[in-house]
Amino acid sequence: MQDATEFASPNEPLKLVLYVAGQTPKSLAAIANLQRICDENEPGKYAVEVIDLKKAPQLAREHNIVAIPTLVRQLPTPIRKIIGDLSDREKVLVHLKVGEE
Amino acid sequence: MGMAIAVSAYDNLSMDELRRRLEEAEDTLRAIREGEVDALVVRNPRREDEVFTLEGSTSYHSFMEAMDLGAAAFDDSNRLLYANKALRELLHLPDDTIDASHIAAVLDEETLVTVRGLIEAAKQTKQTAEIAVVVDSREMQLLVSAAPLQLGVTRGLAVTFTDITAKVRAASAEASERAAHSIIASANEAVVVCDTNGIITHANAAVSAIYNGNPVGEVFSDIIPLKLTDSTGLLQTEDIVSLAVSGTSVQGIEAVASQAPRVKDVLLSAAPLRVGSDKVSGCVITMVDLSQRKAAEKQQLLLMGELDHRVKNTLALVMSICKRTASTEETVQGFQAAFTGRIQALAATHNLLADRSWSSISIAEIVSAELDPFVSSAQARLKVEGIEAKVLPRAAIALGLVIHELATNAVKYGALSNETGRVQVKVTRNEGEAWLGIEWVESGGPVVHPPSKRGFGQTVITRSLQYTSNGGADLEYPPEGLRCRIRIPEEDLVAA
Repeated sequence: MQDATEFASPNEPLKLVLYVAGQTPKSLAAIANLQRICDENEPGKYAVEVIDLKKAPQLAREHNIVAIPTLVRQLPTPIRKIIGDLSDREKVLVHLKVGEE
Repeated sequence: MGMAIAVSAYDNLSMDELRRRLEEAEDTLRAIREGEVDALVVRNPRREDEVFTLEGSTSYHSFMEAMDLGAAAFDDSNRLLYANKALRELLHLPDDTIDASHIAAVLDEETLVTVRGLIEAAKQTKQTAEIAVVVDSREMQLLVSAAPLQLGVTRGLAVTFTDITAKVRAASAEASERAAHSIIASANEAVVVCDTNGIITHANAAVSAIYNGNPVGEVFSDIIPLKLTDSTGLLQTEDIVSLAVSGTSVQGIEAVASQAPRVKDVLLSAAPLRVGSDKVSGCVITMVDLSQRKAAEKQQLLLMGELDHRVKNTLALVMSICKRTASTEETVQGFQAAFTGRIQALAATHNLLADRSWSSISIAEIVSAELDPFVSSAQARLKVEGIEAKVLPRAAIALGLVIHELATNAVKYGALSNETGRVQVKVTRNEGEAWLGIEWVESGGPVVHPPSKRGFGQTVITRSLQYTSNGGADLEYPPEGLRCRIRIPEEDLVAA
């Protein structure tokens, strides 16, 4: 599923990849929670790609995904992973900021 | 917490990268533990990635927590990654901050070695073992299965613990039930198990001698009505059953199963059946076959009666021999010799009969027993032919006396009184005759003259076998030698 939501941004956006597994409750929750986090922030800060591993399990290899849902901050490097349904907003934001500067 | 990373990847990784991956792995496990994920990427045996999900409201984690089976995951270094609720409860492990040492603490030294070996071997292929553990002084039998588990790039082990205590106990209960069954089945006595209503629930093969058909499901007292031999009639079969069911044992009552196909005389015992608790759940009835004992008792009674009869007969015979001998012998010495000889003749036959429990004896034996004092049957002057037929005691005693008289006479006056005489004893059986003929033929002795007066010997010979019309003996006195034709009544002959 190339259900990518592009956010327009004047700066370099944070490139995020959310790995989900079809419509499992945690996958749906993760998508919704990520959507909310993005909405709370200025548009264009995040470039989000959602990958459904149910449809393309081979894509798990790229980021060594084991557990689903997992959010990967691809850029800026180094890559960071946040595993779970992203319901802990503060924790997500902390992780996304780490190593950003 | 460490994760094994594909070996090939190690070489090119920086320290930072390693640390990052380590953190990531720990986070993955935490997320799994805490139920934040509901799908996993699992590498299948073809080394392809597959997504394993649990759809619906139940997450993978809560599924693991909800399952009855105790489950645990270990990493490559035997560290405990996860133990589900069932396992935590089974082994009384703490709910959080649980590690492998908590599981090890439950196992004794020997079991620990078993489990460690199992886990080591399971890295190659699935392993199973049974272990015994004691948790809070409760002994349990556990079936431990361990199988390799590939979580993404991580290799680990999935281990399940199944409580098979009940199953093991059930198996041992079943084994003892089987043993009980085979004991009942192999018992020689008829064994019947009844429930509290007196309905038969089990019966062994020996019961078929008492009841012809399948007794299971029938009311015991209906299908095996027993007459209790020594009772006044107040005690009936159903009373025996209800006594046993109410907890009172009844032992060794003689009973007659009048409708039984084979065994009619039985020794009846009944005892309450207690399984597990003290509560009586029925009764066990055994019936020992008394037929042989009864037959032996009857035989004994018969023999005692017979003995009594014989003793009286013998005494009467002795008295008659005494009286008749006294009336024909002129001197005391003559009386003594004749009387003693006759009593000895009687005794010789008695001995033979006693040796054979008063059954039947062969004519040859009687003849040689009576002739032994005078002449050996091996000697050429006595020829005995074809007298292997057997006779009953009554005929044996009479024949013994007849032969004795003939032999005594032959020794005194006949063929055995000189050195050249001969005696031939042979059997003749003619069609249509109701007797077996025995011919006593003397030759080579002094010239015979018929006796001037009838002596007792003559009476014994002619009358001893006359207790029936088919029996008897005739004497002839041709000059060349005495002849006697003895008739053994056919009713006293025993088929060989």
